[in-house]
Amino acid sequence: MRNALAIAGKELRGYFASPIGWVICGLFSLIFGWFFYTYLEYFVRNSMQSDMGQGGPMNINLSLIRPLFSNATVIILFVLPSITMRTYSEEKRSGTIELLLTSPVTDWEIIIGKFLGAMGLYCSMLAATMVYMAILFAYGQPEWKPLVAGYLGLVLMGGCFISMGLFISSLTKNQIIAGIATFIAGLMFWVINWLGDNASPTTAAILSYLSITEHFDDFAKGVVDTKHLIFYLSFIAFGLFLTSKSVDTERWKG
Amino acid sequence: MIEVQHLTKRYGPVTAVDDISFRVEQGEILGFLGPNGAGKTTTMRILTGYMPATDGKAIVAGFDVFAKPIDAKARTGYLPETPPLYPDMTVREYLTFVAKLKMPKKTTAADRRARVEAIMKKTFVDDMAARHCGKLSKGYRQRVGLAQALIHDPEVLILDEPTAGLDPKQIIETRDLVRSLKGDHTVVLSTHILPEVAQTCERVVIINKGRVVAVDTPENLTRQLRGSSSLYVQVDVTGGDAHATLRSVPGVTKVDVADRHEGFVGYELHAEQQRDVRRDVARAIVDRGMGLLEMRPMRMSLEDIFLQLTTNEQSAPGEAPTPAGQAAEGGSHA
Ligand SMILES: Nc1ncnc2c1ncn2[C@@H]1O[C@H](COP(=O)(O)OP(=O)(O)OP(=O)(O)O)[C@@H](O)[C@H]1O
Ligand SMILES: [Mg+2]
Repeated sequence: MRNALAIAGKELRGYFASPIGWVICGLFSLIFGWFFYTYLEYFVRNSMQSDMGQGGPMNINLSLIRPLFSNATVIILFVLPSITMRTYSEEKRSGTIELLLTSPVTDWEIIIGKFLGAMGLYCSMLAATMVYMAILFAYGQPEWKPLVAGYLGLVLMGGCFISMGLFISSLTKNQIIAGIATFIAGLMFWVINWLGDNASPTTAAILSYLSITEHFDDFAKGVVDTKHLIFYLSFIAFGLFLTSKSVDTERWKG
Repeated sequence: MIEVQHLTKRYGPVTAVDDISFRVEQGEILGFLGPNGAGKTTTMRILTGYMPATDGKAIVAGFDVFAKPIDAKARTGYLPETPPLYPDMTVREYLTFVAKLKMPKKTTAADRRARVEAIMKKTFVDDMAARHCGKLSKGYRQRVGLAQALIHDPEVLILDEPTAGLDPKQIIETRDLVRSLKGDHTVVLSTHILPEVAQTCERVVIINKGRVVAVDTPENLTRQLRGSSSLYVQVDVTGGDAHATLRSVPGVTKVDVADRHEGFVGYELHAEQQRDVRRDVARAIVDRGMGLLEMRPMRMSLEDIFLQLTTNEQSAPGEAPTPAGQAAEGGSHA
């Protein structure tokens, strides 16, 4: 575990040593902020209207936080491939993989280290958005439980993308290819339930089960369901498992 | 300390290493010599556990690298062909990271820091400690790579072309450094530079096309391959048959023309083993009224041996050292 943490620390430092980490974090905060502003404005306008007697009272959780989280998932789809694309590809291209693979460290320690490093960057991105949430608490009374659930959902969903990105990055020396492939694969898992619209009920059920976003809906609503937890955690584990297989195969190929 | 048994590595249809076996004793420095593509890097990568062999066995520091990779790796330092540096890290950060991975887990942070500083001094990179690895010159990269390999004070060191890209002064410093490791560490280094092998290594393994073609000390290789001693003689041939004269000297077994000029010719003489024919040769030429312009023994350098072993496998030791003849010819024209 010490080795995994050392590698995670190296990865995290690597993101912030180059502009990449800062740019990604900044971009994420900016886009998130823009969504936040749009929904906030909409919310304020509507609640003024409802104060004037049109419709029922507005709920800040329902009409602001929930759609905001749903939109955050879109940003994540775009941003996470740029975090994971370097992980293995760059080490393979520059030959530093030779250092890792000849150090007294197991493949799993390397994989976990890289996963934790990317998660660390991702979580700090999410942490930055809490500033916006603090604004809500300052001027309103949102419920905090759905907020926590939503963040948990985002962390887990991002974990799935990262684990998948790690696997794809381990397949190629070219980080651009890794990034694009990860984005496309992420998109697939995103829209996979749409394919079920014209399919048989069983197929539709399977496809919607595989959709990463379907499982997020409940989190956005503030519900933490073990069903979804299990899906996300097994998705992450499977991605990491594939990565370990890929690293092993690469080693045989040389 | 290192035992390699029938090691074979195939990359698809390409056989990079073909049934190699050799041993390296504790405290020994072994040179790994071979032309490009001989399989040096591949063998080293197998020894360091970077990749598994297709067949065969390798034991490093008492541990089978395939069965007990972590134990073997913990006792091995490795400098790959391209030093594995992270461009965004400073030299100090980088070495600290490597120390975390490679030094025993019970090492305290203070000990680790001290070790990093000490190794930077030892490999002459302390003046670059705060420089980013990506901004180092080739020679400094190489030295940081060496520092990285040495950081956990490993029993076994595998160095793939440690002096490649260094300036002459650094080459000497690095050689001295490697020599200073002798005794405490077992070192395997690969190189194309032949004098380096003669100077630093106690034993040489010459490989070609994935096979071991010779294993011996540099001195033995030179002696053994010299076989019959040969002599270069340059004669002013006006007014005599130098070739016949030289042939008639007792003890001379073979006379070849090495180079030909206006009025004088260079010959390469082969004599019977252990027989010094120089006086007789000189007398014979002068007695026939020809001029003796030059006479010197031709010694096979390690270069010649290397070329002979790796380019001309059919010719058995002791036969005409063609490359030496060519070298002499080239030399006299210059
Ligand atoms: N990853 C690989 N895939 C396929 N073939 C490879 C691979 N690596 C090396 N080879 C082949 O294996 C053979 C041995 O290569 P190796 O790198 O071990 O040679 P070397 O002795 O280190 O050469 P050099 O002196 O140029 O460094 C070569 O024919 C090379 O083309
Ligand atoms: Mg090589």
